[in-house]
Amino acid sequence: MRLAVVGKGGAGKSLVAGTLARLLARRGRRVLALDSDPVPGLAFSLGAEAPAAPPLEAAVRRGADMRWRFVDGVGPVRAVQRYSTPAPDGVRLLQAGKSGPRGRPPLMGAINAFWMTVHGLGSAPALRDWVLVGDLPAGSYQAAYDWAPYAERFVLVAEPTWQSLLTARRIARIVTSARPGVGVSLVVNKVSGPDDAPRVGAFLGLPVLAALPFDEGVRTAELQGVALLDVAPDGPVVRAIEQLTERLAARSLV
Amino acid sequence: MKILVAGKGGVGKTLVCGTVARALARAGHRVLALDADTNPMLGVSLGVGPEETERLVAAREGLATGETAHERSTAGVVERFGHDAPDGVRLLLASRIDTANPGCRCCGVSAESLLGELEQPELIVIGDLEAGLSTLMRLAPGQADVVLVVAQPTAKSIEVARQATELAGDRAIRVIVVANRVRDDDELAAILAGVGDPPELVVVPDEPAIAEADRVGRAAIDVDADAPGVLALVALAERLTGIGAAA
Repeated sequence: MRLAVVGKGGAGKSLVAGTLARLLARRGRRVLALDSDPVPGLAFSLGAEAPAAPPLEAAVRRGADMRWRFVDGVGPVRAVQRYSTPAPDGVRLLQAGKSGPRGRPPLMGAINAFWMTVHGLGSAPALRDWVLVGDLPAGSYQAAYDWAPYAERFVLVAEPTWQSLLTARRIARIVTSARPGVGVSLVVNKVSGPDDAPRVGAFLGLPVLAALPFDEGVRTAELQGVALLDVAPDGPVVRAIEQLTERLAARSLV
Repeated sequence: MKILVAGKGGVGKTLVCGTVARALARAGHRVLALDADTNPMLGVSLGVGPEETERLVAAREGLATGETAHERSTAGVVERFGHDAPDGVRLLLASRIDTANPGCRCCGVSAESLLGELEQPELIVIGDLEAGLSTLMRLAPGQADVVLVVAQPTAKSIEVARQATELAGDRAIRVIVVANRVRDDDELAAILAGVGDPPELVVVPDEPAIAEADRVGRAAIDVDADAPGVLALVALAERLTGIGAAA
């Protein structure tokens, strides 16, 4: 199963990606969580310690021609093995370069290493049995520039607000035009009434795979910067993502 | 005067930008609202309407398609690609990414190039930046008069706001932290503890009228101009042009 979670900023992408990754790992799958956002995100939702300096920085070197290349002995698989970091439930987390403090430029080496790694994952036999869960930054940019080439299915997270709907529609159009036949699954977040999820599904022309209600546990987890699974494991949103996990697992067997 | 709005995705940058732009225009200022996000949604918060916002042509793509004669001057770009929004606000979209592989972005019109060049006496430019820190990082010192850093009571957005506040301090004369969707004192305390002592602070309470505006795709100021959350942003607009503000 190879997924990339996309949507507008604040829609709940990292919440879905982080919770999904851990639930899949609890089912015994080997899971690699891929965080390509240059600002902090997925590590919080996974409940993982995020290394301050992205370890991937060490995987590449810049040549005299200004191109980044893997250092000797490192390829996409080795990069995952060496430079991913542990997250709860046995999930491995690979992060792109994060923005540095006080105007330090983002770590270009780590960003380039991440790009080269994700573009080599699809063909790597060593990772064939792994579940990949990617968490993309807000908006359409990375979807347009092919930052999740590994994805067999995009999980589109949308709220019942116009800005979220328009963003989701744009991303869905981009990914399906770039790769006809790619799966797109819709998760509606922050539903507050019975009409919300059907309305979002009808607008986007997609079946609703999961609807996440308001959950005070989410608010607490987001405020504290910890994983929802560690704060409100029995809450309605974890239950809904458990159901999502089952449905995605069923789909990937087909 | 140039005002930029920065913060994590989903914190309410577009709400702040759109509402302050409308309030400034209502107070009689000439306002150009620049949507610097490649996923441009400022039209929705300004009250242009959701589907209308989707149809607006952005400057970069407008120039690239060749349907319009190439326009070199920034004033000409504003003239050609600016759109009318309520209260006389002019809205300019820098760029919209809505196709796969939209090509190299190192040359041509960009949010940064427009922000660098848009400077006219008596004109207030207010820019809604892309989610995250990238645009702020690329800005040269002195390119903005004011940066509004928006945060909400979540650890991630507070961390982004902390970094944005540091970055903005090197690039703008005034940095104002806007604490959005605040329900109680504990949430405000969490934002202040994370961002560090902001030079200036505006608190926008968690607001049903704003949530309703998001759901129906209208400007918050049109849904309820007297709601406390909207009034906090109108007061912010007054502060920006009042005592101590750069003209």
